[in-house]
Amino acid sequence: MNTLDVGLAYGAATLVFLFSGIPIAFALGAVATLFMLLFMPAAALDTVAQSVYEELSSITLLTIPLFILKGAAIGKTRAGKDLYDALHTWMHRVPGGLGLAVTIACGLFAAMAGSSPATCSAIGSSGIPEMRMRGYSPGFAAGLVAAGGTLGILLPPSVVLILYAVASEQSLGRLFLAGLGPGLLLVVLFGAYAMVRWRFEYRAALARGQPSPILERHNYTMRDRLAAAPRVLPFLILLTGVMGALYGGIATPSETAGLGAILALVLIGIVYRTWRLKEIVPIFSGSLGESGMLLMIIGMSLLYSYVMSYLKISQGAAAWIVGLHLSKWLLLTAILLLVVVLGFFLPPVSIILMTAPIILPPLKAAGFDLVWFGVIMSVVMEMGLIHPPVGLNIFVINRIAPDIGLGPIIWGTLPFVILMAIGVVILSVVPGIAMWLPAAVYG
Amino acid sequence: MTAAIEPDAFSSAEPVSGPLGPVQKALDVVNIIMAVGSAVAILAAGLILTWEVAGRYFLGMPSNWQDELSVFLLIGATFASASWTQARRGHVGIDALSHVLPPGADRVRRFLADLVAFVFVAFFAWKSWELMKEAWDEGETTPSSWGPPLWIPYASMAYGMALLALQLLVQTLQLGRRS
Repeated sequence: MNTLDVGLAYGAATLVFLFSGIPIAFALGAVATLFMLLFMPAAALDTVAQSVYEELSSITLLTIPLFILKGAAIGKTRAGKDLYDALHTWMHRVPGGLGLAVTIACGLFAAMAGSSPATCSAIGSSGIPEMRMRGYSPGFAAGLVAAGGTLGILLPPSVVLILYAVASEQSLGRLFLAGLGPGLLLVVLFGAYAMVRWRFEYRAALARGQPSPILERHNYTMRDRLAAAPRVLPFLILLTGVMGALYGGIATPSETAGLGAILALVLIGIVYRTWRLKEIVPIFSGSLGESGMLLMIIGMSLLYSYVMSYLKISQGAAAWIVGLHLSKWLLLTAILLLVVVLGFFLPPVSIILMTAPIILPPLKAAGFDLVWFGVIMSVVMEMGLIHPPVGLNIFVINRIAPDIGLGPIIWGTLPFVILMAIGVVILSVVPGIAMWLPAAVYG
Repeated sequence: MTAAIEPDAFSSAEPVSGPLGPVQKALDVVNIIMAVGSAVAILAAGLILTWEVAGRYFLGMPSNWQDELSVFLLIGATFASASWTQARRGHVGIDALSHVLPPGADRVRRFLADLVAFVFVAFFAWKSWELMKEAWDEGETTPSSWGPPLWIPYASMAYGMALLALQLLVQTLQLGRRS
């Protein structure tokens, strides 16, 4: 068999194994092992376990459990509610201020916790009822939180960017910095939409001429505005301080992860008195379940791409794409569409590790900056978190607000999918939004 | 993909009826011990890395062993807890076909999926075992100046994957019994 046939067989086997319902990690591992057995020297099979260990024993990858622990610790407290409450007391005069406050809170929380589902459930579990109580339509409230939660995979310390750094051999520090500008751009787009949509719903309520909670005005005193500060500020200061330590060269990424997790645990103990075993145990069991599942997928995905590259499948596919001589932007569009389609079935971590060896060489040859592309790919994968029918955040929201129903949630998230697509176009036209910060810091 | 259900505690798997019941009960005990140990390992890794940065910054201590020890702890946690995660079906898969297939065919699909996962994991456990034995016999260490023995992380893979294989076998047999 030539490389093309082996490659097609590899792809077909992957589809069959994944869709059979075998857990993603073991499906990828089994396909890789099967092809080792068929097409590689017998000795290769003896190295299965060693390859996984060597790929996985990278300190960069192993920051993931610690970042997840940090997110779980903050996510299990009232910090999310305190955050948007505090922001709302400052912004209530702005039309649609609550929606804006929720958007910004999502961004800040995502940056602290580094996880999309954690952000959704932390902000959404009280934010969605609060917005509905104030007269926001349920779908709008759900869509706003689902979309705001996706900022978690763009803002540092994003697990997705960590993996991309490993897969593309780009600097993690640069990638984290490059995610900040686009993260801010999305916050602005989401916030602007929240204000416009609020205005629209406000006018509709006014036209009905009946009393509606959306028409009520609230006033906050300075005391209200400062009330939550003692609870919110320690988190913001300490956790941005930890990231500052990373960029200041004081701490390595792994130390940042360890320090962040421990500080988060200490802070929730001090600020929210979360130190009883009954409250601590769910934090650890939850983050262990998530990080164990993720790292198993990562380890096996790495074995999968090792076999793909040993059999020259990835090189062949990459060379084939280069040989098509597509125009620069057509190539980018085609690759991003592929990422969207894969997003229907696979979590971002597998998409990155499985596709990086195939799609990055052609992109590099076409003259794209791989740090910039990492950010673009993250935004596109974020869309995968909220686009129907499979977006993970849709199900998270459905779990915390089951009475809204999947239909309205999906309709509520669609405008944000479009906004993110607009964001990708803006970032393609003005790459500086992503690239100026890393360039300014690292030169 | 499906949303993973976050466990609220170090809970055991769903109770299994029939002759496999006691086996799953015994596995649950081992699984929970391994999971608690893994959680402690993650916490320990966090403390060690915090100590690393604090020690270097305030006490001028060199950082030479902390990263490696953390890698051992976190790899250990990943593999040692794998069976506990599988007991609660926490390793996510694509279940799109379960909405399409008739119930009978879907049971066969789930049985085959568990069977393939079991065969792969058992093979992986066997290869990890050989790797551990070789590292033990030859006294292999990591290439760093600290140079801890490599059989330690390999052992976590060998035992963790063996336990996971056993867990998958029980789940496969249980599905086979029902259908």
